[in-house]
Amino acid sequence: MVFSSIPFLYYFLPAVIISYFLMSWLVSGAVRLFGGSERTGHKASIFTKNLILLLFSLLFYGWGEPVYVFLMIGTILMFWGCGIAIGASKTQGMRLFWLIVSIVVSLGLLAYFKYTNFFIDNFIKITGMSIPLLNVIMPIGISFYTFQCLSYTIDVYRGNVKVQKNPMYFGTYVALFPQLIAGPIVRYIDVEREINDRQHSMEMFRLGVRRFMVGLGKKILITNNIALLINAFRDAVGISQGSVLFYWMYALSFTLSIYFDFSGYSDMAIGMGKMFGFNFIENFDHPYMSKSIAEFWRRWHMSLGFWFRDYVYIPLGGNRVSKSRWVFNTLVVWLLTGMWHGANWTFILWGLLYAVCLLIEKFVPAIKKLPAALRHFYTFFLVMLGFVLFNAKDMGQAGSDIACMFGFGNLPFVNDVTLYYLRSFGVLLIVAIIGATPLLKNTANRLAESPRWATPVAILECLFLVVLLLICTGFLVDGSFSPFYYNNF
Amino acid sequence: MKNKIYAVGITAFVLIWFALAGFSWFGPKQDVSLSERRKLEQAPELSIQTILAKDVKDDDGNIVERNSFMSKFELFTLDQFPLRDQFRQVKSIFQFYVMQQKDNNDIYITGDYAAELLYPMDTLQVEVNSSVMQKIYDKYLKGRANTYVAIVPDKGYYLAQQNGYLSLDYRELFDKIEDGVKDVDQEGKNKIQYIDLTDSLDAGSYYYTDTHWRQEKIVPVAQKLAEAMGTTVQPESAYTKELVENPFYGVYYGFAALPMDPEQMYLMHSDVLDGCIIKNPETGAAIPLYDMAKAESNDLYDIFFSGNQPLIQIENPKATGNKELVVFSDSFGRSLVPLLTQGYRKITVVDLRLTSYLNLDHKLFLRRPDVLFLYSTISLNGAIAR
Repeated sequence: MVFSSIPFLYYFLPAVIISYFLMSWLVSGAVRLFGGSERTGHKASIFTKNLILLLFSLLFYGWGEPVYVFLMIGTILMFWGCGIAIGASKTQGMRLFWLIVSIVVSLGLLAYFKYTNFFIDNFIKITGMSIPLLNVIMPIGISFYTFQCLSYTIDVYRGNVKVQKNPMYFGTYVALFPQLIAGPIVRYIDVEREINDRQHSMEMFRLGVRRFMVGLGKKILITNNIALLINAFRDAVGISQGSVLFYWMYALSFTLSIYFDFSGYSDMAIGMGKMFGFNFIENFDHPYMSKSIAEFWRRWHMSLGFWFRDYVYIPLGGNRVSKSRWVFNTLVVWLLTGMWHGANWTFILWGLLYAVCLLIEKFVPAIKKLPAALRHFYTFFLVMLGFVLFNAKDMGQAGSDIACMFGFGNLPFVNDVTLYYLRSFGVLLIVAIIGATPLLKNTANRLAESPRWATPVAILECLFLVVLLLICTGFLVDGSFSPFYYNNF
Repeated sequence: MKNKIYAVGITAFVLIWFALAGFSWFGPKQDVSLSERRKLEQAPELSIQTILAKDVKDDDGNIVERNSFMSKFELFTLDQFPLRDQFRQVKSIFQFYVMQQKDNNDIYITGDYAAELLYPMDTLQVEVNSSVMQKIYDKYLKGRANTYVAIVPDKGYYLAQQNGYLSLDYRELFDKIEDGVKDVDQEGKNKIQYIDLTDSLDAGSYYYTDTHWRQEKIVPVAQKLAEAMGTTVQPESAYTKELVENPFYGVYYGFAALPMDPEQMYLMHSDVLDGCIIKNPETGAAIPLYDMAKAESNDLYDIFFSGNQPLIQIENPKATGNKELVVFSDSFGRSLVPLLTQGYRKITVVDLRLTSYLNLDHKLFLRRPDVLFLYSTISLNGAIAR
């Protein structure tokens, strides 16, 4: 089940919201009715809320692949047990032992489900031996929730968080459906307080709804429509109707599409988190406004960046080491970042491309002195090229796509097919480019803060959300074309 | 003040959202979609077996066969969403007029016309279709029938490129059929004659919202065919037009989901047409020329011969000679063939989508009939035979 679908929007989410607030209110009311204190009633309410979220989250997860619910439950119990064991260990050695167990299990799960076929396939290519592929089906969201579980055991080991003694509460954290399959990668330390106790308010719920709807709009109105252009591009190339311009349109389209897709999902996750009283970390900060690759990765998929920084880069020594060691650390982190995104050489190369860019930026300080516009341009250009590599099905296609972009594909610069799709999707691309900047958000915020415009903006905002809901519903009802690029992670 | 507005706004939003959700859960369910001309998905069976059942997916991960409860439920929620047609219209209006996209679900609007984006050419399918026609010729017609091929251009031929829309290369399609269906004699001449219909039609020959042509506009087509086949048809003045009272919403009306006005459908009558005897030659069951009961259905074009039939036999007692005609055709033939009746004692219409071309009755070709392959570009870019 994806967020941008009728079953989720009109069946699952309303059912969760109703159950969540109604059941917790009934339970806390019952506790007080039978003589319990306000505090006991509140605790019972939190317990009920977490239980509702866990049950619905397991239903959500099982909807995609019922059998893997047991894997999810097993993972929850395993990591909860490791946390208990780390907390109960009397010696540093035992604490480390249980941490290593959790690392081995999580990375083992990831390696098996995500990389087995990749390793076997490459082994066959290198050795020429004939080995059957296992055709392992990857559980949805495994890249996200294994990292979340690891963050818990590492932070328990470091003493940054208390051991969560309630397995149901821990399960709620791991399986929490808003961020389960597509992030942000919510670390336990960020939600520890809210898992155990959280408050709600009409304002928080409203902000959550608004954020969710913005994300839904990004996904349905922009991403899904740009995907039509991307499909048209591949169809045109397939019948030798590509052109150099069409390749650049494709590169720009995918670059915009993946941003709106992923940030849209993050917005929905953060919005739903707010509805249920959680404050998840931000995941995107207008990354295409960056003026360096380093800045780009401080604005793109920030939760992943923080995770690798805190659990891989810094433990390796970060940048407080010799130059050669720092280069090594950088390459390791970006190799892993690339691999995290998928079991394909294109992702690994994509990650290493960024490592090289970061190293160049570090070792060529003159880059920072370039005019801002030029820095902005080269950053976006490299990011766009990177995404062409990212979206290619294999290295062959990546090479072909990039070659054709630069005129080495024996293609005309433009043709009728390209012009047709440029005319058809031009408005959408312009809207997407503007939407990728902070212009709209800043304008809306400035107006909202102005005494003169605050009331009209408030009215418009409410109307906008209703209209957005109706339009998005129209798109959903009309078809089921709704791919999510990061669903494979 | 602002806070009050937000409080009212979020309440209204949640009420609308949950109201739609409530109607989705508990509202009445529909069996068919009149606008889309198909059955709607009903609530799937819930059981352990259906929960654990596996969907069949293609290489891209798209579901090609729904077996699991979850995927069937998702389709059910789409099909049974309240005010479904209205929401589809909202989407179309937004896509066409706000986002300025040129087509929606491969349907484009130009002037008053809705048309299908027929692009790109499915070269393999066109070749398959020409080989089907060649096989029929080789097996049944060679040396036994005067064979003709006429391709009906879809309205995109007259609208697409002129208005900046993509279309297949019609010339290439015509050439592929001509090269693929032939019987060249010793002088190098093709015994199968090709009849070009492109100059007998224009955009106005077609319904605004439907694939098909208007029967009252295709007398020139019948004349051209008759001339090529050495026969005659009644002049336009011999016909009277009957207006079908029910409004006609063509197939593109539903697909485009845009607010469009319905059209009027006219049926042609003449003394020759009205005197014809029409039946299924295999079963003997009578087939009406114009089945007015279909005027109540969601596809008025089914008035012609009561919809697609595997075989239709038309006998004309008022024919001047004993010529016979066999027409292999798609649905376009249903409105055209009645206009050819004057010149033939008997016309048999064959729909290869509903009957196998491998087992045709040889008696159809005993009396050296004229044989006409009449297919639209839409069919030729798809499948003309099962």
